[in-house]
Amino acid sequence: MNRIGRTMLLAGAMAIALPLTCVAAGQETGGGGGGGAAASVQIPTVSQAMLNGAAKDNKNFLATNGNYDQTRFHPADGITTKNVKGLHVAWIFQTDVRESMETSPIVVNGVMYVTTSFDHLYALNAQTGEQLWHYKHDMGPITVYCCGPNNRGAAVLGDKVYLATLDSKLDAIDAKTGKLVWSSQIADPSLGYSETMAPTAVDGKILVGTNGGEYGIRGFVKAFDANDGKLLWTFDTIPENNSVGVWATKDATGRDMHRDIAAEKEALAKNGDPWKTLGGGVWQNPAVDLATKRIYFVVGNPSPDLDGSLRPGDNLYTDSLVSVDLDTGKLACHFQYIAHDLWDLDSTSPAVLVNVKDKDGKTVPGVMHAGKSGYIYVHDRKDCKLIRFSEPMVSQKERWVLPTPTTPEAGARMFPGANGGVEWSPMATNPGLSLAYAINLEQEMTYTVASAPYPEGKLWLGGAFTNVPGGVQAGNVTAVDYDTGKIKWQVKTPQPMIGGILATGGGVVFAGESNGWFKAYDANNGSILWKFQAGAGVNAPPSSYMVGGKQYIAVAAGGNVQVDSRRGNSILAFTLD
Amino acid sequence: MRRLSIPLALALTVLPFAAHAQSIEEKAQICTACHGENGVPLEQSLPVPVIWGQNLGYLFFQLRDFKSGARKNDQMTPIADGLEQSDLMALAQYFSKKPWPNLRQANPPASVAALAQRANKSVVCTSCHQEGFAGEGTQPRLAGQVRSYLEKTMTDFQSGARGNNPGMTDLMKSITEQEVAALAAYLAGM
Repeated sequence: MNRIGRTMLLAGAMAIALPLTCVAAGQETGGGGGGGAAASVQIPTVSQAMLNGAAKDNKNFLATNGNYDQTRFHPADGITTKNVKGLHVAWIFQTDVRESMETSPIVVNGVMYVTTSFDHLYALNAQTGEQLWHYKHDMGPITVYCCGPNNRGAAVLGDKVYLATLDSKLDAIDAKTGKLVWSSQIADPSLGYSETMAPTAVDGKILVGTNGGEYGIRGFVKAFDANDGKLLWTFDTIPENNSVGVWATKDATGRDMHRDIAAEKEALAKNGDPWKTLGGGVWQNPAVDLATKRIYFVVGNPSPDLDGSLRPGDNLYTDSLVSVDLDTGKLACHFQYIAHDLWDLDSTSPAVLVNVKDKDGKTVPGVMHAGKSGYIYVHDRKDCKLIRFSEPMVSQKERWVLPTPTTPEAGARMFPGANGGVEWSPMATNPGLSLAYAINLEQEMTYTVASAPYPEGKLWLGGAFTNVPGGVQAGNVTAVDYDTGKIKWQVKTPQPMIGGILATGGGVVFAGESNGWFKAYDANNGSILWKFQAGAGVNAPPSSYMVGGKQYIAVAAGGNVQVDSRRGNSILAFTLD
Repeated sequence: MRRLSIPLALALTVLPFAAHAQSIEEKAQICTACHGENGVPLEQSLPVPVIWGQNLGYLFFQLRDFKSGARKNDQMTPIADGLEQSDLMALAQYFSKKPWPNLRQANPPASVAALAQRANKSVVCTSCHQEGFAGEGTQPRLAGQVRSYLEKTMTDFQSGARGNNPGMTDLMKSITEQEVAALAAYLAGM
């Protein structure tokens, strides 16, 4: 229960339902050591041109998933399959917060930005690990969120660093001083809206989705003005009074979902379209197609997660790939993976833009997503149509068996378990090899259902998913050829995987595990080339960067709430001699 | 739930609330009758919870729910009726800043602790109640809470007698009576 430095219980502003406009708060950094070092490293300004060129930038790591395509492929090739066995710790930074860490380190010209649980943000010297400044978000009294007090990272643009928070705010922090410039309220936290994602910065806009599918929200993606925090547009992931769809009976892989369409239509006639509290959070960064000015993101589960009786219809656009116009937020296309989901096997791993082969072997701009269902889906970027889905990466035993009423004894058993498949963990891609790398959970869980009306800001699962005591709890790292859908290699891990993976120009793939091991794999065949024991769950996506002519790999080791791995507080940076 | 002794019950009905005249400290005095002068609940065999040092958002939500009727309790409902809306957050802040008292409740035997830990692995309580069951914001601290209160609360969620969190009801329905008792003992001893 280490909470060194936390002062959020003494927070100033106590408003509950805050107006959805900019709040020019005067809250600031928590000081901390290392102030003197600030003078020795120049904090850079980040231009849009730099962000546009991120995929080719072998020095920096400019976005949560590397670049706007979200390939998590870093082009630096100093670290190779031959020399990675010599990788060693360069430095360790121990943050003030010993709790789940999901941050993707951002690096700009030798300055690293990392975040922690409970919304702390640090600027570090990426070469030495020394702190430049420390910002602590002034947390409001009401936070309602699922799955841990996490934060997946910052976004950088211009002279500011952007952070989205558990009490549903967007903070803009001065990159040089670590002081708050403005803070906008994104949505009402007392209704279950919160943020654990990193924002995306593009074209003068800051894009954020929202948590809350466990609380009966109405999900969205919002665009805020990067300069002053004004709301520019909102895309509601649940169309008003139009969530019913086409009454699909099969999922994207063609398996029957056992829907009782007649009963659903009866419920619809009686109670109407359930759009107001239908869920549909957007957990992570959208991919940005600069050429067409469209963004691609995936939408989370319907509310309540397990009880379909209250939400007849396909529940659009939950469990879907969605594309909207970057400038206006208008819908361009969508593809729903699972209509009327009763298993929380929703879409949380971020969309990836790569060129792919279509069904005729022609190369087209594609978009991919790795689902909690355990499949990688490959689409045509133009119209979101599905080109192919991969071989399953995890067991599909009894898939789509219906949840049974909640009691301690019973419970429908099914694979995948409710965490997946692929949870929020972003994929990595090596476009040269046509390979996508995903990390999976394989957990034996039971699914049960219990109906209750909308409880206004309280947990609303509509049942329970529980781990079967003594049941399978494992994971894997899987490489899939996205032009064929075939699994190229798979390495099983002793514990469920959640966090992230990175592919590098030297042909190495890095991923951490819940048991503290951080490993390097051969991108071609999955051989384990190097490993390091971090002492806490390595459940975060790694980054890479160069400074002083050397390539580094950085990753957070803080454990994770969902798999209850050992907690820690550290950022680790590795390099070669 | 056992009724409070008569003198206390009389005291509760007699104390008026003159909202604008009283400070928060004065308004909070009524709470000490059950929740204790120094945060130690008067009768630990009665399911009266520790509120000193409880998380701010959670305290606010409970006062709000008692007032709205979303959560019902013979003792708390009339008290909440007497509070102004503006008192709720102020009282929550007041009590959240106090130190959590050490009630020195016994650690359970190893077999009971093991059953509690097994239940946590199944339902993953810590995914909301955080590591060490400290809670945060609107999620309550469970560690070191009054054992009889923990047991009653989990049982009331199971039956629906406590109706202000259907998600908790779902989760409690998926564990057994023995696991409830084991969890109560385990959490109280933390």
